[in-house]
Amino acid sequence: MAISPIPRPSLVLPGFEHVRRNWNHTYGTYAARLLPGEYYVTACDEGVYTTLGSCISACIRDRVSGIGGMNHFMLPASADADGWKSTSLSAATRYGNFAMEHLINVILKHGGQRQNLEVKLFGGGRILANMTDVGMRNITFARDYLATEGLKVTAEDVGDIYPRMVVYFPATGKVRVKRLRSLHNNVIVEEETRYLSAIESKPVGGDIELF
Amino acid sequence: MADNETIVELVRGVEGLVTLSHVFIRINQLIDSPDSSMADIAKAVSQDPSFTVRLLRVANSSFYGFSSSIDTVDKAVSVIGTGRIRSLALSMSVASSFAGLPNDLVSMDNFWRHSLYCAVIARILARRAGKCDPEAVFTAGLLHDIGELVIFNRLPEQAKDALLRVLDSVDELPIHEAERQAMGFDHAQVGMEMARQWNLPPLLEECIGFHHDIGKAQRYPREVALVHLANILAQMAEIDTLNLEDVSPADPGAWSIGGIDSGADIVEEVVREAQEEIVELEKLFIDDSSGKSAAK
Repeated sequence: MAISPIPRPSLVLPGFEHVRRNWNHTYGTYAARLLPGEYYVTACDEGVYTTLGSCISACIRDRVSGIGGMNHFMLPASADADGWKSTSLSAATRYGNFAMEHLINVILKHGGQRQNLEVKLFGGGRILANMTDVGMRNITFARDYLATEGLKVTAEDVGDIYPRMVVYFPATGKVRVKRLRSLHNNVIVEEETRYLSAIESKPVGGDIELF
Repeated sequence: MADNETIVELVRGVEGLVTLSHVFIRINQLIDSPDSSMADIAKAVSQDPSFTVRLLRVANSSFYGFSSSIDTVDKAVSVIGTGRIRSLALSMSVASSFAGLPNDLVSMDNFWRHSLYCAVIARILARRAGKCDPEAVFTAGLLHDIGELVIFNRLPEQAKDALLRVLDSVDELPIHEAERQAMGFDHAQVGMEMARQWNLPPLLEECIGFHHDIGKAQRYPREVALVHLANILAQMAEIDTLNLEDVSPADPGAWSIGGIDSGADIVEEVVREAQEEIVELEKLFIDDSSGKSAAK
């Protein structure tokens, strides 16, 4: 059987050199693998994918130019039980704001137009039965944020009890969401927990770089 | 290529941690012995009071759907039949035997739910195909992934590496292939060796060993094909989808080897039926035996 050569990856936008990209045979493109806390923006025809437990990913693109990307974040739990609700500028929501702002700003910086932005939202699963529903907190935050920004969510698959694999193609807006077997729960939870303890151990300042 | 000695050693390493219940071993011996009678088997069952209680619960549940009530062990043994008692005894002792192999990678509840789904679905498929023993493939389904528990417990780093490879591949690399990449062998091979060391019937050995590689089946291709399909439909039941593209692909020959007419209808019917059955069966086969409920 002839094996067609794998092309070289397209140029990466500045600031995203550290994100690992693999050739994906099914889709016939490169795809960037996001870890919790990371985000990725591309102007090329390539994919970006991640696995989500209770974390959430916003997939945002300019539907005209095709530039777009994905983030992957969660609100830290260190704020007391309801703190995130009562204070809009609480420590917790600050991380969510950073994640959303970074993604949107980089898209705009590379030529995206705010009025063309199209948003899809994924994740926020309740994958550990005995945990408080942190997934729902993340969903609520993301929806509120987008509503405040006047950005419409055109598709979403959030909540429920499953971890997810999300593959997004900003150039076309195509997205594939796949529920993952519970076999993967603990590995995903571990990734998210490591991310969570990393952000919780950092002091929250007004202008620190979190990503 | 698998290094068979490595697998044998790996399984030897858990010998003391996983032991089949005494009552199963006794029943197994009696059934294999030409001199034993139904009464001998009933006596062996009766010597384990907790097993007796659970056997009667299963006998009177919708698992068998007998119309009259079964209130004695003698009656249970004669109505259920010795062959099925053996399958049942093994199924009932297996979850508790593996409690000695804890791991940090997958919760036992989730592990056994998948196994039980596979068991239930293999049984439904076998009934439809009408050509092999539904109780035997039930047990095969319940045991098909036991090699995972050995790997998770003994080789946690490599097992985690394999799981990460699956996720990195956008969930397209099957877990058994990821295991081969990470450690040179897979859970099916480990499970098969486990079955050998336990002297389980050859049907179980083949179903456990070849559920990802049905072409290797020798004596029981039909049963192996059914467990292979059941494993895939079990994943669908688990994540509540009816789309075959959401789960690992089935061997295209499996439906006809298993003696089932494939089609979207059957997938939906079987998945839905299993989702209904699992609730009661979890209580019968998992709750009591995994030791979890007592700890809660």
